[in-house]
Amino acid sequence: MMILIVDDEPQIRKLLTTGLKGYGYDVLAAADGNEALTLVAQRRPELVVLDIHLGQGPDGLEVCRRLREWSRVPIIMLSVRGDERTKVQALDAGADDYLTKPFGMEELRARIQAVVRRAVAEPGAPPDSVIRVGALAIDLANRRVTVAGEEVHFTPQEYDILRLLATHPGKIMTHPAILSAVWGPEYADMTHYVRIYVNQIRKKLRENPAANVRYILNEPGVGYRFIDTA
Amino acid sequence: MTVTLRSTTSFDRRAALLRAAGEYLAAAALVVATTLALWPLRERLTIANESLLYMLVTLIVAVRFRTGPSVLAAVLSFFAFNYFLVRPYYTLAVEDSRELLDLLVFLTAAVIAGRLTDYARRQAEAAGLNARQQDILYRLTSALNPLTDVAAIRAELRRVAVEEMGAVEVELLPAPAASPAESHPSGDVVFVLLQAGEAIYGTLRAVFARAPSASEHRLLVACAGQAALALQRVDLTAQAERSRVLGEADRLKTALLRAVSHDLRTPITIIKTSAANLGDADLAARLSAEEKGEMVQAIEASADALDRLVGNLLDMSRLQAGAVVLNEDWNSLEEIAGDVAAGVYRREGVERIRLDFPDDLPLVRCDFGLLRQALGNLVDNALRHEPDGQRVVIRGRAEAGSIRLEVVNHGPTIPAEERERIMEPFYQSRDGRSVMGGVGLGLAIAHGIVAVHDGALTVADTPGGGATFVIRLPQTEGAP
Repeated sequence: MMILIVDDEPQIRKLLTTGLKGYGYDVLAAADGNEALTLVAQRRPELVVLDIHLGQGPDGLEVCRRLREWSRVPIIMLSVRGDERTKVQALDAGADDYLTKPFGMEELRARIQAVVRRAVAEPGAPPDSVIRVGALAIDLANRRVTVAGEEVHFTPQEYDILRLLATHPGKIMTHPAILSAVWGPEYADMTHYVRIYVNQIRKKLRENPAANVRYILNEPGVGYRFIDTA
Repeated sequence: MTVTLRSTTSFDRRAALLRAAGEYLAAAALVVATTLALWPLRERLTIANESLLYMLVTLIVAVRFRTGPSVLAAVLSFFAFNYFLVRPYYTLAVEDSRELLDLLVFLTAAVIAGRLTDYARRQAEAAGLNARQQDILYRLTSALNPLTDVAAIRAELRRVAVEEMGAVEVELLPAPAASPAESHPSGDVVFVLLQAGEAIYGTLRAVFARAPSASEHRLLVACAGQAALALQRVDLTAQAERSRVLGEADRLKTALLRAVSHDLRTPITIIKTSAANLGDADLAARLSAEEKGEMVQAIEASADALDRLVGNLLDMSRLQAGAVVLNEDWNSLEEIAGDVAAGVYRREGVERIRLDFPDDLPLVRCDFGLLRQALGNLVDNALRHEPDGQRVVIRGRAEAGSIRLEVVNHGPTIPAEERERIMEPFYQSRDGRSVMGGVGLGLAIAHGIVAVHDGALTVADTPGGGATFVIRLPQTEGAP
């Protein structure tokens, strides 16, 4: 599988190239946005790791937008801490995920695998009608949820949110995306609805963050992500 | 400088001239009337009687008008008296030379008395004006005292000049506009420097319908002086604040250098020696896989420490510069606390936090990322002092008008004298260890983050020992 790395820092390009080659990927590297666009067109990589802040030419967000005009190649953006607005913009521009610098190679590898898996799986229905994570089991066919074997009752909205998140494990679902899917597009900016419902869902799922027993993860200022155990 | 002479001035002067002519005419008329009254009685009255009556007339003129008319009255009296009432009548000759002396004494006395009377009258007038002037000045000073705003001080001076002193037009020029030492009453335009000691705070340019008298001018100078003193007070206060901020920045810089020299160098040294050891072919051949793994872990841990330190320094400087942009939204504090607790579990592999939140805690408008960091810093600090086998509690409670978030620790109690200071950047507790183990930025950042949310961070004793840090966030109107 071929991955394109786009970063204006030569050191980072070199490290990522070495690391990803070590995991057995073929790696291309581009130093700026124009080179990246050319390489995607000519070499057709299967995934792009794209830094949001590029030194010159179009920045990462712009490259992402232009790529989405003609390509469905999975894109993972690299961003820095505290840059939530840019992260939201990246997702809006069509990025599949983002990773905050500094990160470890293991983390990048896990994200790459998750994004690729989703890209392959998404067009069809989930292979299983029952999603199992830890003590949680969601029977999609019968709309039944159990925690440690005990059935838990959810309201229709709560169930819809849980199902939406659980059927996209590891994928960031922005607050507006959840609102649009469950209540309709006209509710897209009522983000506090989502928080109140997710709070309720978490209690019913008997999450215990202090022991890291969690199914729904926070993406501050962006949205939620269902835990990806694959 | 240009002086605009107003067209009313020549009219004013003509009026003053007419008024003076009237006063002289009146003085003359009074003398004529007195002479006519005395004329039938001239055989039965002595010179002493008559001269006293003329003296009275002169004094009346002096009291009523001014020196000029009173001198005229005295001179006219002298001639009328001599011509009509002193024998031989209808000549200026005098029979008895002693009578001439009497007449001359009368003339001198009348002139002196007239002048004295006029002087006394003017003194009385001046005294009356002073009382009013002092009142104006006193009220201006009391009005200026509480003012701390330059614009307000200028407005007050302008008000006094217009309302109390009758200026038609007042302008405050930023720079000294007339000759620097004194002001110039040039016609009806007056320039007064706003001067306090050496410092000059601009120029007052006032236009009066009629040229102000010397005392009015003095009042204007005094008022401008008071305004200048008030401006100087504001200026000095601002200077003191600036030097306080500079002093604070200086203290921070010193503390930063001290912190950087230790907390930056340690991880850098670890990274450098570990990398060198791993890169040394001879040495690497003799190291066990376990030892190499430890070195790699040390590099990673040091890099994480550097990342946290740089992040904290950046946050601190952004908070202090007021450059933090809040990404506010309705957030669940329980969600934020959950993230912090999960982070602790991932890092330590043990459950060291207990979450205590009611089911119905309202959402709070805040920046999720910043508040998570503030809470994380408080929790890290609490964990550092938490006895083994106990758990730090993160508790959320609603109270009237605000939401309370507590981080409860069961370790040693913080001495009262340290409570305020532990929130300061780079504060190191007296046993030499910083509160955060690192450079002592954690609590200061938490404090700064809570402050930009209009909240308050305080510390109290935990019942039974330990410290409880309390974040209070305002419960905004219209909470969902």
